[in-house]
Amino acid sequence: MTVLLAARGLTRRFGDHIALHPTDLDVTAGEAVALVGPNGAGKSTLLAVLAGSLPPSGGRVERAPGTSVGWAPQRAGHYGRLTPRENVELFARLAGEPEPEARATALLDALGLRDDARPSGVLSVGQRQRLNLALALLGDPDVLLADEPTAALDEQARERFWELAAERRAAGGAVVFATQAGDEPARRATRVLALEEGRLA
Amino acid sequence: MRRPALLLRKDLRILRRSPLLLAAAVGYPLVVAVLVALVGAYAGTKPRVALVDEAGLPPSVQIGNRVFRIKPALDRAGREVHIVRLTNREARHQLDTGRVIAIVRIPHGFVSDLRAMVRSPRLELETSPSPFSGRIVREVQAFVYALNQELQGAYIGSNLEYVNLLQHGGKGTFLGREFDVLGLGRTDRLLATEPQTPTVIKVRRFVRAARLALAQTGDALRATANPVALVRVPEHGRTWAFSAQVQAYALTLTVGLLALLLAAGSLAAERDENVIGRLPSSLGELLTAKVALGAVVAAVLGTAMALAFGVVVETAGVRGGEPWSRVPLVAIGLVLAGASLGALFPVEHALRFFSAALYDVSPWRTLAVEAVWLVAITAALSGLARLAARRLLV
Repeated sequence: MTVLLAARGLTRRFGDHIALHPTDLDVTAGEAVALVGPNGAGKSTLLAVLAGSLPPSGGRVERAPGTSVGWAPQRAGHYGRLTPRENVELFARLAGEPEPEARATALLDALGLRDDARPSGVLSVGQRQRLNLALALLGDPDVLLADEPTAALDEQARERFWELAAERRAAGGAVVFATQAGDEPARRATRVLALEEGRLA
Repeated sequence: MRRPALLLRKDLRILRRSPLLLAAAVGYPLVVAVLVALVGAYAGTKPRVALVDEAGLPPSVQIGNRVFRIKPALDRAGREVHIVRLTNREARHQLDTGRVIAIVRIPHGFVSDLRAMVRSPRLELETSPSPFSGRIVREVQAFVYALNQELQGAYIGSNLEYVNLLQHGGKGTFLGREFDVLGLGRTDRLLATEPQTPTVIKVRRFVRAARLALAQTGDALRATANPVALVRVPEHGRTWAFSAQVQAYALTLTVGLLALLLAAGSLAAERDENVIGRLPSSLGELLTAKVALGAVVAAVLGTAMALAFGVVVETAGVRGGEPWSRVPLVAIGLVLAGASLGALFPVEHALRFFSAALYDVSPWRTLAVEAVWLVAITAALSGLARLAARRLLV
């Protein structure tokens, strides 16, 4: 099985507080890894460090050659004064997508986002989360890292997200997600990892 | 440079959609201009000076045979200060409360000293301790100088009447006594009717020489009274409010604060929007875009300010300077200074650049030196900003 993404002795401190103790993890092609645990267990920290959004205090993240990573943080990250389309197009251009307009149209459609002139800052929480996921799916990443991706979504959007995640896995990718939803690990994950006080159980 | 350009375009789009921020960016130069104008107006106001007349100045004073009118003399002398006549008590109160900045007291005996022309009459000046006291003393010195000039004119006029009497003869008064003077002209004419003996001829020669010498007395007296005369030519060049220095300060402050606020605010907004860390661009590229944002906005607004100055200079008919030909030089400075951003904004170098760009006859050497400084500081600040941003934002 191909290891797409790996954590080797990964740690993260915030001052004196150790949010993530030395952690080893392999993410292989085709799997869906669920991270579960109480608030403050270190799920978001682990995902952010794996995504490269947060530098590790120790250890390293290894990616298989040519592996791309998409990152959907828990708090939606996009520009509030730009429309959803402008956000997706900007990120697509920054990522070097060959056809940013077409890609934006496809992602907006796929996640049920309305293509209007309203700035993203006035969207509902659920709409912003859809935009957040659209940005994470740009470039068809091999590994999708998502922090509570379905928390603010309605049932229909939730199903749509899992369909898109399944497409990634079917194409040889993987999904790692943190969740608090009771049945989601059992229904959606091929492997469940429990985190407690910054340690993998 | 593709990613920084994309991020810059995004920042400019967001700026355009932020009406409050845009209003602040456009309004700020106007506020600076208004403040500069207010300071200029304050600098042009006449300080209030209390005049305490203990001597009881009459409307006019007889000096010799001439009448010296005091009120018009005070008006002419007081062009640089606003003179208000007050009682001693009131003047003291206003000085203590800061409503007047000085008291000029005309003590008892001033008028009799003025009339007698035996000793100089004295004025007393009292100021409050303030940062402006030096200026007040100079203003009052100028006032006394102008008053002295008026009086010198009266004194010289009076003295010349005696000289005139000696030259042409006639009736005159001195210390209250009337007398009749033959005069050199009439003496010469009388001697011309006498037999021209060697003695008469000698006396006539002396009379002619004396007449010639006395004819020069008026100019000589005036020259003695004013060994060095200050002649004011008509006003020329730009007023203080449009000077190169004011423009340079206005541009530097605008560029400095705008660049700092916009770049820092925009960087903070990236963090607030939670996009740092998920942007497919490096921190260096993000900072490059912020530096470019500062440069672009500073260049646009600074150039608008320079053009506005130019329009005012043209429409108000202000002479001096080259409002249009130097705009490209100013624009270069705006880009460099705007790019150098931040808390360590190089005010001194920006000021020198703008001053030289606006008015130096040969600005090139200064421009080159200051441009090198600005570029070097930009590079150093960008490096520091990257380190700081990494610590603060990630």
